[in-house]
Amino acid sequence: MTGTINLKLDINGRSRELAVEPRVTLLDALREHLDLTGTKKGCDQGQCGACTVHVDGKRVLACLTLAAQVEGRAITTIEGLADGDGGLHPVQSAFLEHDAFQCGYCTPGQIMSAVACIREGHTKSDNEIREYMSGNLCRCGAYSHIVAAVREAAEAAS
Amino acid sequence: MKNFSYLRAHSADEARKAAALAGNMVLAGGTTLLDLAKCGIAEPDTVVDITHLAGLDGIEVDETQASIGALARMSAVADHPAIQKAFPAVAESLALAASAQIRNMATIGGNLLQRTRCSYFRDAAVFPACNKRHPGSGCSALGGVTRNHAVLGTSDACIAGYPGDLAVALVAFDAIVHLGERQVAVDDFFQLPGNTPDREHAFERGEIITAVTIPASAAARRSTYIKVRDRQSYEFAAASAAVGLELEADGTTVRDIRIALGGVATKPWRARTVEAALIGKVLEPELVRKASLLVMEGAIDHGANHYKIDLAPRVITRAVLKMGGLA
Amino acid sequence: MTFVTPKSKHGDASDGNLGGRLSRIDGPEKITGRATYAIEHQIEGLVYAVTVQSTIAAGTVKSVDSKAAEASPGVLLVLTPDNITHLKSATTWAGTPGPEGPFLALPKTVRFNGQHVVAVVAETLEQATAAAALIKVSYEETEHVYGLEDPKAGEGVPIDPMTKSWGDAETAFAEAPVRIEQEYKTPREYNVAIEPHGIIAQWEGDKLTLWEPSQWVDGMARSYAEWFGIPFENVRMISPYIGGGFGSKALSLPHGAVAAIAARMLGKPVKLAVTRPQTFTAYGGRPATRQTLALGATKEGKLLSIIQHGVNETSKLGMAVEPLGSVTAIMYAVPNFSSRQNVIPLNTVTPGALRAPGENPSAFGIESAIDELAYEIGMDPLEIRLLNYAEEDPHAKIPWSTRQLREAFAEGAKAFGWSKRTPAPRSMRDGNQLIGWGVAAGTYPVRRTPGEALVRILADGTAEVASSSIDMGQGTYTILAQTAAEVLGIPVDRIRVKLGDSALPRAPVAGGSQLANLMTGAVHKAALAAREELIGLALNHPNSPFLDLQLNTLTIADGTISTPRGERADISIADFMQHIGQEKIETLRDTLPEEKKNTVDRYNNFTTMMAMKSPTEGGYSLHSWCAHFVEVRVDEDFGTVRVSRMVSALDSGRLYNPKLAESQWRGGIIMGIGQALLEEGIIDPRNARVINNNLGDYLVATNADIPDLQVISVGIPDHHASVLGGKAVGELPIVGVAPAIANAVFHATGKRIRDLPITLDKIL
Repeated sequence: MTGTINLKLDINGRSRELAVEPRVTLLDALREHLDLTGTKKGCDQGQCGACTVHVDGKRVLACLTLAAQVEGRAITTIEGLADGDGGLHPVQSAFLEHDAFQCGYCTPGQIMSAVACIREGHTKSDNEIREYMSGNLCRCGAYSHIVAAVREAAEAAS
Repeated sequence: MKNFSYLRAHSADEARKAAALAGNMVLAGGTTLLDLAKCGIAEPDTVVDITHLAGLDGIEVDETQASIGALARMSAVADHPAIQKAFPAVAESLALAASAQIRNMATIGGNLLQRTRCSYFRDAAVFPACNKRHPGSGCSALGGVTRNHAVLGTSDACIAGYPGDLAVALVAFDAIVHLGERQVAVDDFFQLPGNTPDREHAFERGEIITAVTIPASAAARRSTYIKVRDRQSYEFAAASAAVGLELEADGTTVRDIRIALGGVATKPWRARTVEAALIGKVLEPELVRKASLLVMEGAIDHGANHYKIDLAPRVITRAVLKMGGLA
Repeated sequence: MTFVTPKSKHGDASDGNLGGRLSRIDGPEKITGRATYAIEHQIEGLVYAVTVQSTIAAGTVKSVDSKAAEASPGVLLVLTPDNITHLKSATTWAGTPGPEGPFLALPKTVRFNGQHVVAVVAETLEQATAAAALIKVSYEETEHVYGLEDPKAGEGVPIDPMTKSWGDAETAFAEAPVRIEQEYKTPREYNVAIEPHGIIAQWEGDKLTLWEPSQWVDGMARSYAEWFGIPFENVRMISPYIGGGFGSKALSLPHGAVAAIAARMLGKPVKLAVTRPQTFTAYGGRPATRQTLALGATKEGKLLSIIQHGVNETSKLGMAVEPLGSVTAIMYAVPNFSSRQNVIPLNTVTPGALRAPGENPSAFGIESAIDELAYEIGMDPLEIRLLNYAEEDPHAKIPWSTRQLREAFAEGAKAFGWSKRTPAPRSMRDGNQLIGWGVAAGTYPVRRTPGEALVRILADGTAEVASSSIDMGQGTYTILAQTAAEVLGIPVDRIRVKLGDSALPRAPVAGGSQLANLMTGAVHKAALAAREELIGLALNHPNSPFLDLQLNTLTIADGTISTPRGERADISIADFMQHIGQEKIETLRDTLPEEKKNTVDRYNNFTTMMAMKSPTEGGYSLHSWCAHFVEVRVDEDFGTVRVSRMVSALDSGRLYNPKLAESQWRGGIIMGIGQALLEEGIIDPRNARVINNNLGDYLVATNADIPDLQVISVGIPDHHASVLGGKAVGELPIVGVAPAIANAVFHATGKRIRDLPITLDKIL
């Protein structure tokens, strides 16, 4: 391949090396090069939130982020959210308990967004949760259950 | 997306030099640049990544002004307590823009360079005619579907609407865009399309935005941003208004008022005629309603966007009355 | 291979059985990112295909300039109308022969804007995408018809099988003391599954493996087999998880053929992911519809006549019918009725199925019109519905199996507080907000096709269920595990369910809300047989500890075999299997009638919709029912409409898992809110392009658009409808939402909006 650059990305606490063209987005790097397909591609143009990951602890869209741009930053994907021992993050448990998903495709993005939403403190009311979770579209229509899951996880965290 | 080289800038100077080269484009938040690159509209030879530059993301607020570094994220400004206190309209305009994720990515400097959402501008493969993309090629929106297009500030060459929120608040409060040493009033930074819709900003190659300052004022302190849209969230404005109000000691007479509109014009639109009609007057609903209509003098609709002519004055009215404690 | 095993139980111990609120067993995979959707399958040597879509609505591809693309780095192949392999025409979903002539995945003739015309294959996604942008296509354009409003659209083609009539509707209408006549319109709407369509195709000799999200692996595999002229058994379609379908992932589509052709030409596995903008024309959603409804009634509100004339758009290629008379003909008791429908071909992709095709726009018409009639005579909109309640199917003139619609109205009204409603429009407000309350009913038929399932009890005391049916979020994995657990007496966390692979026992389409009923039926049957075999072995096997007891039966519960009165010590299934040296008990059962078990009928049963029974076959009319009660707040100055509160009472018969059924109900209601207020494909008349072909411009509801939604189950087991008593779940809840909202908007504002969506500019 012409014009590739070598990158060392810090993903889920592990250093991952890859050679990609500069135009490769973080989303495609994860999905097509690193076998981390938990981060989903729903629109590839910043309009659905399915590709939400954390960069240095903040929720961002992997489809509008170049892989090259996040070298040196800490990237967390859904695969790295829980502790390594196979347990679940409290937000994941709340999603399961409240059936906050159906097809599951927007779910990793919803969960990454929810974890950040709670961390940001944007969970003071159901309406605030709704607004701050609106960057993640869910076509199955699990919104009511997502709000319930985020509310519960936020209460448990506080 | 065409392939490009990637250059990580380590200083503002390096960034400026790299940005001066034809074909190079600056990556700040990436939310506009990568989006447009995927649409085939931005075709950089080199992407100059300034996201790692230190010291350009500060937010400082004192009694005279707010100074916001160009690389401050939208979310950081929206959540900043001093901004919320001294410039509520600014904080609200940011909180109502895009989504939480995009606000964590997009920078204040990049936000000012956000481009239109005109469907015809964005679909180059199907609509080759676009004076913004290719000067002189024509305007595909004229004669097309125009529900989201501008009714103010349009020209025969372009009717694309300015989509952003923050700049509407900035225009209302006379913010200054800092391009290194050079400073431009934000209202002048945004250009009317006229015959050169490709030229959207008073901005020369090689310049980068370093900061935005907003003068403090009583009007800014008592301000709000109202955004009207069909979807409750994550949508551009059908119409929006930033309004700041200062009353005389009597609590009813307007001493100072700032009004700007979004979602209806080709640039963030300062409603000076409405301001003039209200200054010195006792705030009263019917007066405000009438005055608000003045903003649409000279408005031109293209059918489907006619509703904006009715809607925008109502948004102004609501915001003014809300600030005056009358709504 | 995808096995899903329940990890944990929630709530009480009975959750694992049918009717229990078990959390979905595929949940842990989905919330950890481990669930691998079709095109996430990892495969060596993968290359990437990207299509180029037409930029004109009608005409011919004159030439393709692919020189720059071919010279572009990494490019392996450019497919054009000139070099694309001509495939054979495949049998349609209905089981009828496909159109004459070859099937062209990249046709030279352009019939709609956004048709795939070229494909580029390269080593990486980025290379293929960039090279595709370099393709230059020259067209010879011809005249197009952009939509139903196009003056060139004409009257279209009458669809005679849609004609329904009884009594003398024209005369009764003309003589009716109260008459309402209005036109109702719905726009083009899209499925917008968050997982875009895509495929990985791989050939090994003349065997084709496809990883493709699918609502119907057997039906889609048949299309590929026929396209390529290879035996059905040579095609394997794998679709373990589906990121939403809503009707759009049931049929094989041109992009799939392109990937398979490219894979064969290159001898490499090819991945083709349809981009989000391309999805708007890579398949068809709900067609735009228009219907006139004339209602004649007495002054007291009793219906005397309904006359309906509907049209929907279709493509220049295929006859897609969106049956607009489906709800109209069964919702109310009316002595005189007439309904007919035309279909207007124009330059669009062939419309497809989108959640409750037919019932959805049909209900928007009749449930708006009956509301208008209520205001006309000054009657409560709920009361007029009860006054005209259909005690039997007014069209088929046969009894309902169950119809809990009266109960739905009653329960819904009570929970909503409907009795506190003030009747006059604009009579409720809160500051700038006008408040309105509206009601509407919905219905969806019970469709039935036989299914097949394998149940396997293993030596370790666990069990497996296998079927080619799919789970796109409806909960198939979970309810099949619950079915097997209940019948086998094995705890649900020891049941594994394997789905979404055409190599497994067969299933018909996951569409028409039929899958849960037919698959629980098939699994129930297979599990009963397995249990019987296990008990038979326990009673009769020479090494069985129960052999000498001379019992007729044994009980199995919690994975343990017991004698009825404790005659002998309990033994776990695992211990028993080891005791008798049995590796497994395997039962494969189908629910085909005896005369349909032959090879040809079996094949057609699972790969076409020929065998699907109508809801009135068998002497009862089988339908699900619902009533929606909505509160809207309309900003008086801005015209924005927000749904602030909603109560829906639904009759889906028996619920196999209420937790998951409620999720589907809320999901359908939420899609209905978006449909009512936001969703509309916007077409540029000049070139028939869908110009809002992205999720920033084609608006679906966000979290902030959705208030608390109360759902109430009023169903009772209906064993005419299905073996285990369930009726339709997934498509029902969207039906009636849009008219309930439109009715509430009228109550709030006095403005009747008869064309969806109800955007602010229509209210201003």
